[in-house]
This record gives sequence, structure tokens and C-alpha cells, in this order.
Amino acid sequence: MRIFTVYNKKHTLLLRKQRYESPMKIFFTVLSLFSLMFSPSYAEEAGGSCEDSGEILYAESQEPRGIFQFSSSVEKQEVCQPCSSLEANDPFEPVNRAIFGLNNDLDTILFDPLKIIYTTIFPKDIRDRIGFVLRNLTEPVVFANNILQGEAQDAEDTLRRFLINSTVGLAGIFDVSGSLDIPYKKEDFGLTLASWGFDTGPYIVIPILGPSNVRDACGRITDFVGDPINWVAYFGDSVFYSNSRTSAQIIDAKSDDDIISDLKKSIDPYATFRAWYTERRNFLANGYRQTLESPCPDDGDDDVVENAAATPAA
Amino acid sequence: MKKFMILFMSLFIWTQGVNAEFGCAEAETFMSDIGKKVIDLLTDKSISDHERADQFRDILETKFNVKAIGKFVLGRYWKQASPEERERFLNLFKETTVASYATRFKEYTSERFEILGSRPEPDGGITVFTQIIRPNASPITIDWKIFEKNNEIRIYDVILAGISMGITQRSEYASVIQKGGGGIETINFALEKKLAPKK
Repeated sequence: MRIFTVYNKKHTLLLRKQRYESPMKIFFTVLSLFSLMFSPSYAEEAGGSCEDSGEILYAESQEPRGIFQFSSSVEKQEVCQPCSSLEANDPFEPVNRAIFGLNNDLDTILFDPLKIIYTTIFPKDIRDRIGFVLRNLTEPVVFANNILQGEAQDAEDTLRRFLINSTVGLAGIFDVSGSLDIPYKKEDFGLTLASWGFDTGPYIVIPILGPSNVRDACGRITDFVGDPINWVAYFGDSVFYSNSRTSAQIIDAKSDDDIISDLKKSIDPYATFRAWYTERRNFLANGYRQTLESPCPDDGDDDVVENAAATPAA
Repeated sequence: MKKFMILFMSLFIWTQGVNAEFGCAEAETFMSDIGKKVIDLLTDKSISDHERADQFRDILETKFNVKAIGKFVLGRYWKQASPEERERFLNLFKETTVASYATRFKEYTSERFEILGSRPEPDGGITVFTQIIRPNASPITIDWKIFEKNNEIRIYDVILAGISMGITQRSEYASVIQKGGGGIETINFALEKKLAPKK
């Protein structure tokens, strides 16, 4: 509860300050708020970049897996449950589809040319450096979310990463912590809400920013409002900085997205993006585990060796 | 006492034998073999695109359970389909998969495939965690869902950075069918269209 009061206080402060700003500044603030929601999480998901889950997965796979325990689980469920259908929670589909189409057009006329310019001007190595700096700036928010989720170890790692990369790593230009085996692990308030048991709510597509859901959209707004770096920029009267950071983040995210371009080749890109977003968030919210169902052997109908289909249908 | 010892020993050996059939170690060996095969296929620039596609089709047919995957991605529409329609779908499904991956493979040069570990799942399968180390990019994590049935080890799902290809395709097909309104034939038609210009 205390968290919320603190948050509210900050929020009203922000609103009060806004009243004294010129309309132009308000406009830019709103614009940057809007676009900033997009980037930190999107950058990670789009590029599939970051040292990601490798380490974590390895740690997980070291979990006790006694042979007896395993063999019993096989005996118990030799055939897995019949696969139920995954219904998308998407009541606003017509509106979402319209915005999705708009975003695609924006990509074609605005972001694709920008991406070409950006990747031509900056070689891959420089782009990585820019990506690291931007990522380093998201660490305070990641740290706050680690705390809110009660993950002490993660919080410690984030803090160490931020301190090391901001100093020795020259404001994040060099990913020193990465070579010290403290891989970047993304967190945001959407995932914090998930850890508190909040459901995703309906799927939504946000203009420019792309796929989201009600929970994650609330998370993005909270992350922005609570980001100390935005506060420094705001009270230091350098909204310009905030905007530059925002634009940089968008370009950075768009420049390295081979997975996205693959998804666009599907028969129904909208449905593919929806599934992709839902799965990816489920994966992150469950500590890098995909808990959704997968294809499985069920009733003998799918046997590879047709003749061996002796198992009677359950 | 000696009898008990023998009984115990034989029981132990027997249980070990049972487990030796399919466990995490076996799943990892299975995946590492496939990984090696695929990487060889990718990095071998001497073979033609056609050959590469053929070899990829071969891996798909012998190492994946295409029928179970096809059935999963169609969901309830599978049940409504006739055997001929199913057959046609599975064929098209396989061919589009081959077409889309074989072209993607072309860009690969010196990738490395690494097994990170594995974990038995509550549904009886095993997930093998792997990653592909790329020379000029961050590694891609790929998880493979493997089941053993009738002494055959097969891959049932590929999970790319947390995104299951099975679920994604299922959502896509369900949406296409709902919009088209023609059951499995809608998909068959769409897949044929997708495949046509490439052939």
C-alpha cells in the first residue's frame, strides 16, 4: 500500500508541475511518455538480443531431476492431456487489427527508411554500444521491479550491473558486467503485476508501440512515471534529453529485429504477432519457462510408425 | 541375505535399464546429433539449395513428429477434416516448413550449436535447452520439446526465445480459418498459395 501512496505522490507532483509548463513542453512530455513506454521492453523482445536466458536456463536445468522421480512421471502420464485450444483474449480484435495495419504502414513509410539510414550510418559495433547505453539507463526501473517482486538476488545483480557499467563501463558503453557473468535480465512493471497474480487482461495493439495487453500497458505507464532518469530529465528541465532518448530507443529497437521480419511473412501476421506476444510474456513472467501446452503424443492417432498404433484411444 | 542382495541388484539394474531407454541424457544426445547434422547442413556451402531442402525435409520426417504437430496446429479443425484433407494438409504443412527454413538457412555461415541442459516436463516430455551462437549477433535460445513413444524419440515443438512455433502456428491457422470460414480447406488453399511462387 505504501508503494502506491509514494507512487501517487510522485504522480500528483508530476501533474502539478505540468500546469506551469508551456503547451509545447507538455506536448513533448506526452509524446515522450507515449513512445518511451515502447522501447525498453520492446527492444529486448524484438531483437531477441541480450545474453538472455542462456545462463538462467542452464541454472534451471540443474534442478534435481532424480531418475526415479522422472521415470515415475513418465509412468503416470505416458500420454499427455488432450491439447485444448488456446483461445485468444481479444475482444477488441477489429480495432486492434486496424491499429496493427496502421503500425505496419508506419513501419513501411517511416521506420523502415529510418532503419536503413541508421544501419548504414552506424556499423553493428556502434549500434551495440548505443544499445548498451540505452539498456543501462533502464536499470533503475529493472531494480525497482526486482524489489517489488521480492527477488533479492536479482536486485543485487541489477545494482551491481548498473554500478559497474555506469563507472568502469563508461556510462554503459561497455557491457563490463556481461563479461563478469552478470547477464542482463529484463524486468518491467507488467511482469511485476504478473508476479502479483494479475491476469493479462484483453490483448491490445497500441499505435506505434505495437502488441500489448491491458496489464502490460499499465506496467509501461508505471515504469515511465517511476523512472528516476525521466525525473532527473524532467526537473532538470531537459525534456529534450528525454525525447532524444526516446527516439534513440525506438530506432535501436527497430534496427535489429530479424525475428519480427520473419513473423511478417505469416499468412495472418496479426494472429502471429498476437500469439508471439502472449507467449513471450508468459515465458518471461514464468521465469523463462514456457508453461503453455505444446504438441504431444495423445491417442495413437499421431503415431510415427503407423503399424505400431496399438494403443487404444483413451 | 545373498538372495536379497541379488534381487535388489537385479531390481536396480532393471530400473536403470528402464531409465536408460529415455531420459534427459538420451534427449540431450538426440538433440546434439540433430544439432550437428543441421549445422553441417547450414555451413556446407557446396550443396545446392535443392539438396539442402531435401536434406532438411529428411530431418523433418525422421526427427519430428509432423503428424502430431500438424494435428496440434489445426486444433479442433483436425477432427472435422476428412482423411484426404488431413493428408493434403500434412503434406502442405511439411513443404511450407521446409521452404521457409531452407531459405533462412542460406544466410548461416559459422554458427555453433550448444546444449545447455534439459528438464523433464509434467506432461511426460523432456525439454532440451539449446542455443545457437552466431558470429556477429547475440545467441538465439531454442528449446526443443521431445517425447518418446513406441521407442521412437521425436521432436514435437520448437520454442524460439520463449515462443512456441506450435502455438504460434495454431493461433495463426485458427484465425485464418475463422476469417475464411471453410475449415481445413481454407488453410490448404492458403498454404498452396504461399508455396506456389517459390516452386
